[in-house]
Amino acid sequence: MTAPLIEARALCKSFGPTPVLRDVNLSVEAGRAAAVIGANGAGKSTLIRLLAGLSAPSLGAALLFGEPARSLRPELRRRVGLLSHQSMLYPNLTARENLEFYATLYGVQDARAVAIEWLERVALGAAAEARVRGFSRGMEQRLALARAMLARPDVLMLDEPFAALDADGAALAAALVREAMDRGCAVLASAHSAGALAELGFAVFALGRGTVMSAEAAAARRSAARPALARQLS
Amino acid sequence: MTSFVAVLRKDLLLEVRGGQSVVALGALSLLVLVVLVFAFNPGGGEQGAEAAAGALWVALVFSGMLGATRAVSAENENGCIRALLMSPLDRAALYAAKLAAAFIFMAVAEAASIILMVLFFNLEFDARVLRLVPAVLLGALGFAALATLLAGISSRLRGGDLVLPLLAVPMFVPALIAGVKASASALSGAAVGEFAVWLKVLVAFDVMFVAAGYLLFEYVAEEE
Amino acid sequence: MNGRAVRLGLGLVTLALMLAALYMVFVYVPTEAEQGIVQRIFYFHVPCAWVAFASFALVAIAGVFYLWLGQQVWDDLGYAAAESGMVFCTLVLVTGSIWAKPIWGAWWTWDSRLTTTLILWLLYGGYLMLRAMAGDSEQGARFGAVVGIVAAIDVPIVIVSVRLWRTIHPAVLVTRQGGHGLEDPRMVATLLVSLAAFTALFIWILCLRFVTLRMRTRLGALARSLALAEAAAQD
Repeated sequence: MTAPLIEARALCKSFGPTPVLRDVNLSVEAGRAAAVIGANGAGKSTLIRLLAGLSAPSLGAALLFGEPARSLRPELRRRVGLLSHQSMLYPNLTARENLEFYATLYGVQDARAVAIEWLERVALGAAAEARVRGFSRGMEQRLALARAMLARPDVLMLDEPFAALDADGAALAAALVREAMDRGCAVLASAHSAGALAELGFAVFALGRGTVMSAEAAAARRSAARPALARQLS
Repeated sequence: MTSFVAVLRKDLLLEVRGGQSVVALGALSLLVLVVLVFAFNPGGGEQGAEAAAGALWVALVFSGMLGATRAVSAENENGCIRALLMSPLDRAALYAAKLAAAFIFMAVAEAASIILMVLFFNLEFDARVLRLVPAVLLGALGFAALATLLAGISSRLRGGDLVLPLLAVPMFVPALIAGVKASASALSGAAVGEFAVWLKVLVAFDVMFVAAGYLLFEYVAEEE
Repeated sequence: MNGRAVRLGLGLVTLALMLAALYMVFVYVPTEAEQGIVQRIFYFHVPCAWVAFASFALVAIAGVFYLWLGQQVWDDLGYAAAESGMVFCTLVLVTGSIWAKPIWGAWWTWDSRLTTTLILWLLYGGYLMLRAMAGDSEQGARFGAVVGIVAAIDVPIVIVSVRLWRTIHPAVLVTRQGGHGLEDPRMVATLLVSLAAFTALFIWILCLRFVTLRMRTRLGALARSLALAEAAAQD
């Protein structure tokens, strides 16, 4: 078994005294994918932020490529892509300019060509020279996905990737994720429900009451008649 | 280096595309100068030169705070700062780019301020005005360095807009003293040699604060 | 070593030194010829100033260690030093004002030392306001450390520039004379004892405050652990 690219070890995060995540254990190897399912406020975004190195754990470890995500070396940060709730796009730049900018930051050769290529791949070719300010939510999401993936990362973290996408958009996103997995990328995604991600071959985990368990364990829990927890997981 | 250029280019491009920062800074400087003219009702001559120099630097401080805040919080829209932090971009390079952007905005606003100052305080457009350019540029650089670092802090706190002036003003005092003295000397016709000591203070200030910001910005830019 | 015993010991030493200083300032030392009785304030004013500046250096050093090592204890030390130092800085300004009024006839003079102390006071104030606003968080500690370091680097250049400001334009201002040129050895002795007394007082106050902040940090950690344990127990 190869070393996991994404790993959470006994990961805990509290804001003040309130625990949001406790004892989260998760690992994703190259070419594999994990989906974390949970209700709003369950801590999915917090988990992804911790694993992306944007936030520091209260206890335990959030590791990428075996190293603490918070203090990742630039060479390793180049290999990580993030899609988050916020689009992280500049409204007054065009779609192409946004992608070109990030491509330059990630050291991608021939940034302009790569930007245009990815715009085509997310079906935004026609809107390449339009400013992001006028984009619909679905267009933004597709552009953000392109931004996350254009540097061909080895680790991809997607916070609710199918949000705001229509059927076509979702199919596009799914194809891109599938391709990344085939390439050997480790993917971690979060969502409200498992359906689309499970179809793509994601291992499904439920995030409830701050901790993570596999889908089978979650199902077992549900059938053990614990109403409060079951409500959270269903 | 390419990253620094990329970020700076992006900031300047956004400014040209309707960022309104230079306009806002210029407007603020204008208003400050107007208020100070009414406040001090200056005569001409040496007293006028001193009042003019003082007014110019008050305008610099206020517009500088606005400029730094805008340069830094431009990244807060849509959470772009997170994308920058996650990228291979060196935090120090990010600081340098923000500093450069703030400095450029301030320099343009200062150019406008100098012209307004000459008009409002009844001075002449001659060599004396040119002599104050080095002091103003050094002062703008120092303030941009200081304020960019502090704006990194204040933009992340609720109600943080009080913190920036509260900390920036006392910290800027040495450069403020030096700048006003150098400017007043320049405007009253003194040769550069006479106020060279003040320019040295400004240079020392700039070196220290650019270095401090360069080293410390990464601790400011992290998330919790 | 027993913490309480240390704090008690420090308190007693402070008390002893303070009593000695008070005796020396009010009884032992001769009245200064020029300024009269009011000059005795000098023996309080100068030690407070020394403490205020030294404390600020401590805030910065603690900040450096906090950023470097990431251990909360350094932030607790820095914050305690800032709070303690602020008290003494305020005292410098107040005693300076009380001293100035009978001597120069004005409640405030812009001489170089008082001006520099005023700037220091504003920096302390800014630091404390920042910490209050940022709350009890890691972010607050980090921001505090950065501000403490930058402000401390600033202080030397403030001193230099303010001194230049005052010497190059002496016309408008009164220049204060106090501080050096003490002819009588009894004055020197009194100053030294007073210096020791105020330093001891500062260290004692700092310790008390530091211990309180350490307890608060530990309580926070305990509360977090408790919350985690409770949540786990309900699984």
